[in-house]
Amino acid sequence: MTAAPVLVARSARAGSQPVGVWASLLRHPSGRAGLAIAALLALVALVGPWLTADPNQTSYDTQLAPPSAEHLLGTDQAGRDQLARVVAGAQATLGAALTVFVLVGVIGVVVGMVAALAGGWVDSVISRIVDLLLGMPSLVLALAIVGTLGPSLRNVIIALTVSGWAYLARLARSHALGAHDRPDVIAARMAGVGRVRIAVGHVLPGVTVQVAIAATMELSAIILGLSALSFLGLGVQPPTAEWGQMLAESRFALTQMPTLALGPGLAVMLAVGAAVLISEALRDVVDPAWRRG
Amino acid sequence: MSVTRRRRRRLGRVPRRILHMLVTLWAASLLVWSLLALAPGDPARRVLNGRGVVDPTDGQLAAERLALGLDRPAWERYLDWLGGAARGDFGQSWRTGRPISDELAVYLPATINLTLAALVIALAVALPLGLLGAATAGRWPDAVIRVVTLVMVSTPAFVIGVVLLYVVVLRWGAGNVVADGTWSNAWLPAITLAAWPAASWARILRAGLLESMSATYLHVSEARGAGRLRLLVTHALPNASVPFLAVFGVSVGWLLAGAPVVETVFTWPGIGRYTVESIIARDVPVVQAFTMLAVLLFVLSSLAVDLLSTTIDPRLRERGRPAGSMAGEAAR
Repeated sequence: MTAAPVLVARSARAGSQPVGVWASLLRHPSGRAGLAIAALLALVALVGPWLTADPNQTSYDTQLAPPSAEHLLGTDQAGRDQLARVVAGAQATLGAALTVFVLVGVIGVVVGMVAALAGGWVDSVISRIVDLLLGMPSLVLALAIVGTLGPSLRNVIIALTVSGWAYLARLARSHALGAHDRPDVIAARMAGVGRVRIAVGHVLPGVTVQVAIAATMELSAIILGLSALSFLGLGVQPPTAEWGQMLAESRFALTQMPTLALGPGLAVMLAVGAAVLISEALRDVVDPAWRRG
Repeated sequence: MSVTRRRRRRLGRVPRRILHMLVTLWAASLLVWSLLALAPGDPARRVLNGRGVVDPTDGQLAAERLALGLDRPAWERYLDWLGGAARGDFGQSWRTGRPISDELAVYLPATINLTLAALVIALAVALPLGLLGAATAGRWPDAVIRVVTLVMVSTPAFVIGVVLLYVVVLRWGAGNVVADGTWSNAWLPAITLAAWPAASWARILRAGLLESMSATYLHVSEARGAGRLRLLVTHALPNASVPFLAVFGVSVGWLLAGAPVVETVFTWPGIGRYTVESIIARDVPVVQAFTMLAVLLFVLSSLAVDLLSTTIDPRLRERGRPAGSMAGEAAR
């Protein structure tokens, strides 16, 4: 346990109050910008599909049409409306990214708490596994897992989850161990509250907030990894629309219709940019020392 | 603590780190090898399919299973594989039937060229940007650099690659659509690969410099009339270099993981693209070889960074890790 406690130590005050983090995030300029973009993307993903055409409707009369009033971003090689596909891609990309985000968060909290609570050989085994996973480049590991299980969105989610939970588990473990000497925990222990109840009632909320913050900081890497794997043809399989995969397809029409790359390219940049902005703001909020200078 | 005792401890550090590295490698090998067992489908059938036997008979399958040694216990096969891997022999590709080490030898030079070029570009961009950003913190050059680097870290390599391909190759007619893996062709893919680390290093360097600048002893220097640039370069830079080195080591892993994407965009004949093709063809031994190679390089670069950091910053020998949030960031 060498690195993780840093975030914990510095953020003990802000981190224990989720509401405070949200409020300060909204006051922070880049936090506000990131949240605004994220809200816009969420709106597009949720409402967009109702307003656009069928993303999988092929039409061989209008292949590779330029942008027009009817097709705002033009049509792709199969005559499908590119705007509708970008909007549908928001659901695929962001849905999968959020799935990974939740999975690594939950696994991180559970495994970290179990290690801290059980101690002994359970803790040793878990810590060794975490060390091993952190000792490997995570995207290479994800690539290896997809390479073994075969290309599909489900396998990409599995791969990114397996390669992503370890850091969060380490964080959760050290935070849970750090809670041992906290006044409220000591008081509860003296009042005769059981170990499990202390863990769930006193330790878990703080650990969850810490892991949620750290996982949010990883969100941009999750989105990048997801769309990169899809770009390589290892993630979402056709005909389902996904930004990375759409960009891969648009390459082959780059000479005829370069505007095709515009929609998915900008969409990924917006999503990753929002995640980066939010994580920078979070860093400032939970760790005021970063803001100086 | 006496001088002799301290020296003995420092000598003990290197073997300990090397031992730690070997344990990580061994554990990784166990993980990578067991991936093969998790792979769905019958390996014998896949090997035969790879050789063009579309519908193998039971006899052919049985013979191939024997040839692959699938009848032997798992631990025996693992030790065999590990022994081979330690000598650089990863068996043969299911797709082509050729030894993987031969194929890697063909593709590796192109990837090394690309990665080295990207490292040089990334450093050449990150150092001045980080320094300038810290020197002008809060004023407009810093603001511009922050926005530019933010856009750069938010842009996936494949987007940059496709844009460069369109603008530079198709519009301006410079460079080649199909690269041959030599230095003269490396600049476009290298820029693409370098963009993300360059921007993230610049941001980390700026933050590290500013954090070092807040140290008390720098107020003394400042009071004695040292200029901001002098403070940055002679005092803050050495202090910020240790956490920067840690990030740099981790980035080697990033470059390796980025290679498949960039090599695919530019059809660069390196191991990244070879691996992606192998993944799509479900050629598991090649994926294993690539993973082990990447882990080896990653672990070696971590070791080098670790030893270098302790040489630069003697405080680390006592405490194991630099204080401050940068180290926490970097250790991920």
